[in-house]
Amino acid sequence: MSFDVVGFDLTEGIIHFLKVFGGVLAAALFAAFLISILKNGVSGAGLFFKGLGRGCSDFLQTSPKRVWAITVLTWREASRKKALFVFVIFALLLMFAGWFLKGSVDRPDLQIKNYISFILRAITWLTLPVMLLLSCWGIPTDIKNRSLHTVVTKPVRRQEVMLGRFFGFTLVGSVVLSVMGITGYYWTVGQVPQEARAELVSRVPVYCNKTSFTNNQGGKEDTGINVGDIWQFRSYIAGGTKARALYKFDDLDLDAIRQDKRLRMEYNFEAFRTHKGEMDKRLLCQLTIVNNKSDLRVPLPIFEIQEFSNRAQEKTITLEESVSYNEEGTSTVKTANLFDDILEGNSITVEVQCLDPGQFIGMARPDLFIKMPDRSFASSYFKAVFGIWLQMVLIIVIGVTAGCFVKGPVATLLTFGIVMVGASGLSDLMRGLVTGTQNGGGPFESAYRMLFHMNPTTEIDAGPLSAVMTVLDTIMIGFLWTIQHLFPRFDFFNMSQYAANGIDVPWNATLLPSILVTLAFVIPCLILGYFSLQLREMEAK
Amino acid sequence: MSEPENVIEIRNLSKDYRDFWGRRKVQALKSLSLDVKKGEIFGLLGPNGSGKTTTMKLLLGLLFPTAGDVKIFGEPSSNVEKNERIGYLPEESYLYRFLNADETLDFYGRLFNMSKAERKQRCEELIQQVGIQHARKRPLKEYSKGMTRRIGLAQALINNPELVLLDEPTSGLDPIGTRDMKDMILKLRDEGKTVVMCSHLLADVQDVCDRIAILYGGELKVVGKVDELLKSKDQDQFLTSALSPEARADIEAVLKKHDAKLISSDRPTSTLEELFLKTVQISQENPGQRFVSEEKGSDSPLDQKSEAKD
Repeated sequence: MSFDVVGFDLTEGIIHFLKVFGGVLAAALFAAFLISILKNGVSGAGLFFKGLGRGCSDFLQTSPKRVWAITVLTWREASRKKALFVFVIFALLLMFAGWFLKGSVDRPDLQIKNYISFILRAITWLTLPVMLLLSCWGIPTDIKNRSLHTVVTKPVRRQEVMLGRFFGFTLVGSVVLSVMGITGYYWTVGQVPQEARAELVSRVPVYCNKTSFTNNQGGKEDTGINVGDIWQFRSYIAGGTKARALYKFDDLDLDAIRQDKRLRMEYNFEAFRTHKGEMDKRLLCQLTIVNNKSDLRVPLPIFEIQEFSNRAQEKTITLEESVSYNEEGTSTVKTANLFDDILEGNSITVEVQCLDPGQFIGMARPDLFIKMPDRSFASSYFKAVFGIWLQMVLIIVIGVTAGCFVKGPVATLLTFGIVMVGASGLSDLMRGLVTGTQNGGGPFESAYRMLFHMNPTTEIDAGPLSAVMTVLDTIMIGFLWTIQHLFPRFDFFNMSQYAANGIDVPWNATLLPSILVTLAFVIPCLILGYFSLQLREMEAK
Repeated sequence: MSEPENVIEIRNLSKDYRDFWGRRKVQALKSLSLDVKKGEIFGLLGPNGSGKTTTMKLLLGLLFPTAGDVKIFGEPSSNVEKNERIGYLPEESYLYRFLNADETLDFYGRLFNMSKAERKQRCEELIQQVGIQHARKRPLKEYSKGMTRRIGLAQALINNPELVLLDEPTSGLDPIGTRDMKDMILKLRDEGKTVVMCSHLLADVQDVCDRIAILYGGELKVVGKVDELLKSKDQDQFLTSALSPEARADIEAVLKKHDAKLISSDRPTSTLEELFLKTVQISQENPGQRFVSEEKGSDSPLDQKSEAKD
């Protein structure tokens, strides 16, 4: 398992949100203004601004007490309508899951992964569908049963109804998730064999920002060799040559390392063989620490790549405070101090080489990382549960919003559709289109090519027609770019893989963007839901 | 004496129901204009589909008018703040059936930002007032229709409103429940509240309303004070104690002398409602007692009423 953990750029994220939100908001306001003018004539403009002002004023006058009243009502409704029955199914799963998972593998490291994956998946699949159904049916059922009539004829604003329902379902889901999460934690810890409990930790990796390579002759390159793998995640270096991969780690927490009195690294390299070699021997690899300031090179002991192991302990290289090494080109044994000689301030550079001629080692940026002191398993586990909670909040807010303008079954289908599109990710075609990397241009150019049997790489002659097509495609692609952002990317929230692989969920790369994505959908959904309820006749026939 | 202020002002109010394509399906209300004054009980009458409930829902902002204006306390009906001073009992009591009576009133009290102490006190008062103390902890889904109407009225009064809108308040109630409801409506007026009720049960409206409006086909046909609308202009009526045949003959002679025609002369009858209520009351006091059997022709409970009371 590899994690290509990339830090989240908060400023860029906010600008991106404002672009999408601003664009959609401007389009919606313009459409509303136009409809108001068409429907009411000149006075429509006044009505539009009056409605807008009223919306702002309503939001400012939101009463937390009324919102809380509807939240409590929602909790009572869910609990009395047996929504908490989901606990029974969870308990049944836990009672019998051990039978099926225990004997599935004989390696404790994989067994741990299985238990954690199972429990987090069970929690996800029990909680999210229940919350989806509850949130999609809440307001439509109130409207259908006309219970909402007795609420909106009190001094209750529409957004208070929506917020109350949203917080109520979130409360229900949070309680369900907390109980399941805590139970699941103790169940997992209890199921892991005693001898494998040491593996049950959260490793805290620090990844390098960028890797660089040298080729077989020692010349600098941006990437290594492509061995023909379609998935170009890893770059390869040839064994027995001057090919190297360079990892430079910055911004290390020196205090934590000093406290730990050691520096640990973990690798996850992949071997690529051009000949079988010796049956029982794995590829040989060597790491060299390079201090660019003092030109000190500290070659570390040669090791065999444990390419098929999932055990972190077998892939960890530890540098103690005092490191003995053989000076390169001589057989002199020297000693270097970790803090005084090896580290460059709070940075360190590591050079990787393959020692087997004719064989290759493949590596990507996250395949070598510095291991800060481990955290408890609970840290990654509960962060993964928090990831499920964020998904749940997102589903609830989409469901409640959908319920504000369509009936229960349609709201369910709509929300389910949005979740499915968001969870499966967008197709390569769509990504290619909106990023402009798709051959053959946009929809209009593609249609033209199909009509005239032109392949996607043939140049179209410049002229008025191609200019018109380019303009139309630009508009269309802009529209598609906006549309693709209306579907939340659920892959941001998948923190289970971190917990299952014993890695702590990083704040900057995963937790922060997940929280921001949730907020980025919650705020527009609340606005949309408010206006849907406000402009809707409760008693329309 | 100055004219009481208008609590509700409706001007040229129209409402069309349209289909998906915006085509008019039905015109539920046609240019309705009327006022409801402070402190009166106003009845909206009309057959099914005449526009009573539509008017009520337009007043509450549950529907948007196609044309015209509605003002309540001088504010447009879309204004949420007006709801602070309004209580509404819908045609069916669309309450949350999984809550019990205490929880229901507490919930609606919270919607008015009432404090916990206020909610508790109001809840006690209203539960006593509508007479459901015995069932206050039972979920509403177990309530009979009459009990549901009672808790529905209680929730409408939770904020001690100045204006109470009652949609078919007596529908589905037994005669005792109907009487209680009517008494409560009269009490509301005595407390200075304005009540607007719509119903097609004419006797109920006649019993309690000061003014009425009759709608037909979405149009206002009649509006005015009940007494004035019902008063016969070309007939007189006297109510006396029982007369001897001689006295009867003398009266007829006097009437003849003044060219007046005696249209009918009979012993006055009470209402069925009175008979029913009295029967129940006496039955509660004397469980073993039986009253009328056609064969024996024994006394009516209404006669016993006077004996018992006197």
